[in-house]
Amino acid sequence: MAHSWLFGFTYFFTICMGCLFWNCLHHATDSDWSVVVRRQLENIASLIPYFAIFFIPVLASAGVLYKWWSMDPASEPLLAAKQPYLSQPFFIARAIGYFVLAGWVAYSLKRRSISQDADGSAAHSLVMRKFGIGGIPVVAIAITFAAFDWLMGLDYKWFSTMWGVYLFAGAAGSSMSLLVLIVSALKRRGYLSVVNLEHYHTMGKFMLAFTIFWAYIGFSQYMLIWYANIPEETVYYQIRNTGSWWYLSTFLVVGRFFLPFPVLLLQFTKKKPKLLCAVAIWILFMQLVDVYVIVLPALHPSGIAISPFDLSSLLGIGGILGWLFFRNLKNSPLYPMRDPRLGASLKLTN
Amino acid sequence: MSESTTAAAEVSLSTPPELARVPLVQNQRSIGWITDKVSKIVEERTPRWWWVAFLICSPVALMGLLCIGYQISNGVGIWGENKTVGWAWDITNFVFWIGIGHAGTLISAILFLTRQKWRTSINRAAEAMTLFAVVCAGIFPGIHVGRVWMAWFLAPVPNMQGIWPNFRSPLLWDVFAVSTYFIVSVLFWYTGLVPDLASLRDRAKGRVARFIYGVFALGWRGSNRQWRHYEMAYLLLAGLSTPLVLSVHSVVSFDFATSILPGWHTTIFPPYFVAGAIFGGFAMVLTIMLPARLLYPQVDDLITRQHVDKMAKIILLTGSIVGYAYLTELFIAWYGANPYEKFTFFNARLGLEGKGWYAWSYYVMMFCNVISPQLFWIKSMRTNYVAVFTVCMFVNVGMWFERFVIIVTSLAQDFLPSSWRHYSPSWVEVLTFVGTFGIFLSLFLLFMRFLPMIAMSEVKIVTPEADPHHTPHGPGAVANH
Repeated sequence: MAHSWLFGFTYFFTICMGCLFWNCLHHATDSDWSVVVRRQLENIASLIPYFAIFFIPVLASAGVLYKWWSMDPASEPLLAAKQPYLSQPFFIARAIGYFVLAGWVAYSLKRRSISQDADGSAAHSLVMRKFGIGGIPVVAIAITFAAFDWLMGLDYKWFSTMWGVYLFAGAAGSSMSLLVLIVSALKRRGYLSVVNLEHYHTMGKFMLAFTIFWAYIGFSQYMLIWYANIPEETVYYQIRNTGSWWYLSTFLVVGRFFLPFPVLLLQFTKKKPKLLCAVAIWILFMQLVDVYVIVLPALHPSGIAISPFDLSSLLGIGGILGWLFFRNLKNSPLYPMRDPRLGASLKLTN
Repeated sequence: MSESTTAAAEVSLSTPPELARVPLVQNQRSIGWITDKVSKIVEERTPRWWWVAFLICSPVALMGLLCIGYQISNGVGIWGENKTVGWAWDITNFVFWIGIGHAGTLISAILFLTRQKWRTSINRAAEAMTLFAVVCAGIFPGIHVGRVWMAWFLAPVPNMQGIWPNFRSPLLWDVFAVSTYFIVSVLFWYTGLVPDLASLRDRAKGRVARFIYGVFALGWRGSNRQWRHYEMAYLLLAGLSTPLVLSVHSVVSFDFATSILPGWHTTIFPPYFVAGAIFGGFAMVLTIMLPARLLYPQVDDLITRQHVDKMAKIILLTGSIVGYAYLTELFIAWYGANPYEKFTFFNARLGLEGKGWYAWSYYVMMFCNVISPQLFWIKSMRTNYVAVFTVCMFVNVGMWFERFVIIVTSLAQDFLPSSWRHYSPSWVEVLTFVGTFGIFLSLFLLFMRFLPMIAMSEVKIVTPEADPHHTPHGPGAVANH
């Protein structure tokens, strides 16, 4: 049950962090194109502080999730060597740090953006740019160490320097996919008419870019661990490549890269919102599989054992987040109406 | 929902002055002006400074070639390597140069795909630099095989002895990656050159020049159909080059990371090497472009402070990514708690307990690559040419040291203290490396003399005049500036 919760928690956390990344990137690079879709990124990213609440069950079940949690460092030299990093107070302090830092950036960006809706002042853009630039290292550090703490720590003996980058790669691609879906859903109901096919094309290109990037990072990590064949590193893939996990791992590789890659490569796909939405749903599903393959083998090393809690935690966390999202949606215009770059965004051509 | 039909009326389509974009070509230069000023660089008499520079660089290049000849005739034994440190300056120099060769294709291909229009005035020179850097890089593994006349064994050519290359070795992947990269980069560079070569052909006064430029312009007439084909070819080559930019340095990183040597085997190597390559490459582009801009003040309106500012930002970004990788490596070395890994990072590299023979090089690397680019957080520093040039020189040094740190510190003090050996380069190694700078700079000087160092046709496309809706004296002109 604890693992199921962590699975649902991680899935939504990566997506929300990905949205924060895209929002920061938009401001840091002073982009034109993303103005019309930015409010939705802000809405999703502003859910980050709620993860502090969803983290409480993780913390409560840390003893089940993390073997090191209840171990005495004196009894295990490897754990002793990892002190004070793998200690309960520092673990909690770090988690608070991630939520506070990332939440603060997300909240500040959204607040400024909404203030701009009122007065249309360019000064807000300049402040948001500063937050965006500062937000990128915040996202990088928070994702990296959250990945180390919550996922790599499932086996305290295992390590990989690529781990943070791997989580980021999945987060960025799947959050862009979620954006496509939300924008499409709003368009379908007659809102967000400012988003046109050129914006879809751009979002599709980013989905493609991060499909490739995920594969590149995933392959590099796997290949280097496989090639060097050092037992303390291969243990991660050994579990996931044996028994029934092997089928799911193979499905992940095929489904996260080999299927969407050729489809997204075509310009046709990126300019057909319905098709792009189908690919987006697929990528979000594959991100689910990815997180599942990361978390659940820690509980069932011998093979897949699906539990109803996997689904219920997913629906529970997703449902609450969805409810919060829809509640917030109506509190602000659906796009930053008076952003000075809105005109340029409307005129986007690829 | 607050979106309403009246919302559109509130939308202001004009940009407030604080957010106005600076035009890429300054002083509203016309299309004819651009052709004229860039072509003049090639057409006018060779300036005196060029001869001075060439007469300095070419003997250095020659010295490098002589060293290579000397090395080939005497064998790799004349280098400073020993049984423990089997790789040192040779591979350091290879990775250094191949890294520099990444900026050009990044600017041309990735920035093209992401529609970064500012790339147009620097891409040509950066691509040329890429090619020359890859030439310099190729020398080192080439001569390191010892018996260079056997280098063709690297290619999977069926031969009488039935010898096949070891496909499982990343060193062989290097051969394929680097050669593919070089070929595609040449094609990409040449494709981009065709319209400009035609301009030079049309302007050439001498028959010989007209003939030579004419041959290489491939009969370009600038017709609609030719432009359509050209743009499609350019896009496809950009698409092909992009994975190559990422793959080459990833494969180079595999040379180290597939091993089990502490300090070499770490999974973050591929993206970290790619970021480092772009970082070092941009620094080298600026190292060359800033003096070139000084020597040709007529291109000031094309390579503006805005360009330098943006490149400085990329240096800051990639430098910080490299810093992230260094710190992640240090953290995981500690977290992984492998005593050998810990020794390499904390003793051999950081010099804790006074055990690091080459710890100084680690600090040089850290300072140059991570600390010095942080200066670019300050806007006035990014547009100050002296500051930018200084940081770029630090980065050039730092990126060489990065490879030296990775290669030599891991090897010299390996698992078994009794096999530890110091390494110092022999004069042949030093002079060969210096010689590659001569080769690189001589080739670049020749490029500046004979080919347009700014992609004229591409710069013209980003001028407001190129916009079909542009009206020189109408409101459009204001909106575009």
